[in-house]
Amino acid sequence: MADGRLERFLRRFGDIRGREARTALAVTTYFFLITFAFYIIKPVKESLLIGNNPAWWPYADLATALLIGFVVALNARLLDRLPRRTYLTASLLFFTACLFVFWQVFSYYTQRQFQTPVVDSSGTLFLIWAQSVVVRSWPIPVIAFCFWSDVFIAMSITQFWISVNDIFDPHQAKRLVGLFVTGGLLGGIAGSAVAMVLPQLRFIKLDDVLLVVPVILVLAMIMVNLIYAGRQRVDAAAGEGRIGPSARVGYLESSRAVRRSRYLLLLAGMLAAAMVAGSLINYQFKAAVRSAFEDPAMRTSFVAFFFLALWVVSTIIHLATTGRFLKSYGIRWAISLAPLILLGGMAAVFLVPASVVLVWAVAVRGADKGFDGTLSQSVRELLYIPVPADVKYKAKIFIDMFVNKFATGLGAGLYLVLYHVRHFAYRDSQPLAIIRELGLAAMIFLVLWLVLTRLVYREYPAVLKSDIRRLHKEGREAVADHVDVDLTLKVFNTIQSRERSATLYYMNVFDLVRSKDLTPELRELLGIKRDEIKARAVDALVDVGGGTFFPGLEEALTDAAFQKEIDLVFLLPSYQRIMDGRLGVIAASSSELDRIEAAHSIARMAARPATLEALARLLQDPSPEVALYALSSAAVHRRPEHIPLIMRLLANPATLSEAQAALAAYGPGSEGLLAGALRADGTPLEIRRALPEVLARIGTQKAADILVAELAVRRDGMEPSLIDALYHIRTDRPQVRFRDKDLRPELRRLIRSACDVVLEPAGAPEESRAALEIRLRRVFDLLTLLYPREDIVNDYQNIRQGTAKSVDYALEHLDNLLEREDKERLFPLIEDLPPEERLSRLKKALRLK
Amino acid sequence: MVIKTREQGNIAVFDIEGEIRRTDTVEETLHSLVEGQLNRGRRNILLNLAGVGFIDSFGVGQILASYISTQDLGGRLKLCRVSQKLLLIFQITMLDKVLEIHDDCSKALASFGTA
Repeated sequence: MADGRLERFLRRFGDIRGREARTALAVTTYFFLITFAFYIIKPVKESLLIGNNPAWWPYADLATALLIGFVVALNARLLDRLPRRTYLTASLLFFTACLFVFWQVFSYYTQRQFQTPVVDSSGTLFLIWAQSVVVRSWPIPVIAFCFWSDVFIAMSITQFWISVNDIFDPHQAKRLVGLFVTGGLLGGIAGSAVAMVLPQLRFIKLDDVLLVVPVILVLAMIMVNLIYAGRQRVDAAAGEGRIGPSARVGYLESSRAVRRSRYLLLLAGMLAAAMVAGSLINYQFKAAVRSAFEDPAMRTSFVAFFFLALWVVSTIIHLATTGRFLKSYGIRWAISLAPLILLGGMAAVFLVPASVVLVWAVAVRGADKGFDGTLSQSVRELLYIPVPADVKYKAKIFIDMFVNKFATGLGAGLYLVLYHVRHFAYRDSQPLAIIRELGLAAMIFLVLWLVLTRLVYREYPAVLKSDIRRLHKEGREAVADHVDVDLTLKVFNTIQSRERSATLYYMNVFDLVRSKDLTPELRELLGIKRDEIKARAVDALVDVGGGTFFPGLEEALTDAAFQKEIDLVFLLPSYQRIMDGRLGVIAASSSELDRIEAAHSIARMAARPATLEALARLLQDPSPEVALYALSSAAVHRRPEHIPLIMRLLANPATLSEAQAALAAYGPGSEGLLAGALRADGTPLEIRRALPEVLARIGTQKAADILVAELAVRRDGMEPSLIDALYHIRTDRPQVRFRDKDLRPELRRLIRSACDVVLEPAGAPEESRAALEIRLRRVFDLLTLLYPREDIVNDYQNIRQGTAKSVDYALEHLDNLLEREDKERLFPLIEDLPPEERLSRLKKALRLK
Repeated sequence: MVIKTREQGNIAVFDIEGEIRRTDTVEETLHSLVEGQLNRGRRNILLNLAGVGFIDSFGVGQILASYISTQDLGGRLKLCRVSQKLLLIFQITMLDKVLEIHDDCSKALASFGTA
């Protein structure tokens, strides 16, 4: 099948993209074959076990719980020594060989003869000895077979997910997990169907059913080799998903990986509780089946039919709902659904009559296994996503191989205790009573499971976040970290003022001194010492702008007593009286320099009517330089009557920034005046656009509320400055709160407008892309108001510039954070999708035709 | 602080030496001395600050009070030989825009005649 057609076909079952179709199909087939094989083995195993004394039932599980550790240790050692491809092939060969041995043993027991070719006399002696061993040790071979089948499925499933981890990145795996699970479900259906039909055929004996399995395992081997054929890099020791030979993954190492993480501990606990409950449900099921069927072939067919029905129903539910359920309700509910439903089912056992106990057992075990193979399995894999690859590998080994089996063992232990304490051996005729007593124990673990799901979910976003690192500092942060903007401006003004006049220069240096900003480095930068030398050398002949440099400037200005005296001069009544008369004249002077100096000095003068009047005049000065100094002085005096004059300066790009700073200096209490100007119809747009930044610098809750309210007005041309200002507040004032009900509609409108850029592109593709980038940036800026800022910024940066893996983590984090409606519309915009796919998803999300 | 008063034509010249500080207790302040000259009908005042090593805000206040008193009576008060430090104070407080300051006292004296 051509790639395109194959991709189209596979997309019915999962989100297949690009060139991953062939590999995805091979991996899906691999999973199909494993489950196919296992679900032929499983009904035979269960039927054999149920046919034996119930007192033996738990020993199969206990054997698994006790011995699985050794198998895992061997598994780890082989994994260390063999390339992944070789290891997986060898494992499958081993399981194939084992099957022939078990088939031989079971054939002997059921028919009391070995089906072998001609044997010599020594062979006959061996067969007689073997015969007595098998008969005398029965049902130990059944227990051994159960243990072996548990090892087979545990190792095969783990190996499968490890191969998924090798081949795909987490977000890819999340998209494709639906397809893989579909393969597994189909395998289960096929295996169960084979196990159901074959025992009913007269010419095939029950044991011969097992002979189908080696054929399937050989096909699985071929599939493994196909998958890894193009993935040499995975086999290389340095591969990301490959655990190098130095990493010894035994019980201690894997358990240490889990113990180090609270999240993994909770996850292990949750899975263990689920497993214990499942184990007890399994004993209830066995008890119900044992009481209903005596004939082994019928029993095997029924068990196989149960699994077949289970897989069919699970597949339908999985295809119809798993992906949709996860997308719609997220992990939060997907993780809780199984324990909730099972708890309800378990409570029902106390109401059902004995005649329908088999139906009840089928329903409850069906629900348990059904969830386990579909929704719960998908969720489990998703829960591993935020765990680093090497830790995940170890944790999966520990949880799948140890925790699960330990939980099964615990379930078996509980059954054994109940069996003996409650005398089940003498109550073979009361299966319902036994099932109810087991139900009580199961309910305890179902409740524990439910509690642990909540705890795991609470930890999940935090673990996910730890994988998303900040790529770079935001512009504002980077500037703030490295540059003191206000000081830089002061220094710049000071240097520039040297060219204008010595007086202005001294005034500026004095300002720097007073604000304790004149560091030795800055003094050097300003060249104060050089100026002294220059001044001495030319002996004040060099007249810079009408004044001479004072050689003792440095000592004088840095002398605290001297500074104090200057401050006191400004307070002198005589000084104030003189300035009352002269300041107005200077402010009206035709000399720009005089006006600049006046505008500068007013900052230190007392707020007398004449001073404020002169300041008002200077704020209206046609010279931007005068206005700049006047703005600095206005920021000191903070008189309400100056606000309209300062606002006018917002319209001039030359004075905009200083005017914003001056207005911001009015601080809390001035928000009402600013809001009035923001809302007034007569306010020019350029002034209106500059006001949000002023409110942001004030940064009070009231300022934030005004900005949010103004955003809701949706005035033309205001959105960028309002969102910038709100983001500014969010960055600088984390204590300010934003109400969801106020912001959510604006967020949705903004997401919609970003969608429109894609749905109805205007201009060249580059322009549309740029427009989309800008709108997405604003969407994320608004998201920081509703969710933790740091997380959203990290997500945004990683989505825009991160590695494939960090993009996945960021998307996964957002997936768990955002509301459904927002996710549906935002994800097609931020995910890496082909254009037609993006368009189709957006239309679907917006319910457009 | 030592203040010597001399007359040069219709100009009262105050030669000030030492430091002008609020902590120095003197019987007569610069302002009272200037006012004395003003009361005697002098309207042109020249403060020669060549011998002043340090002047604090109190001293600046004395100069400014003298300036106001002189101005109120329609007179003129000028300064000469102002130290760099004092000039710096005047520049930062913008008093250099108000007070007439000369580097050379003879030129200052001459300026009374021409103004």
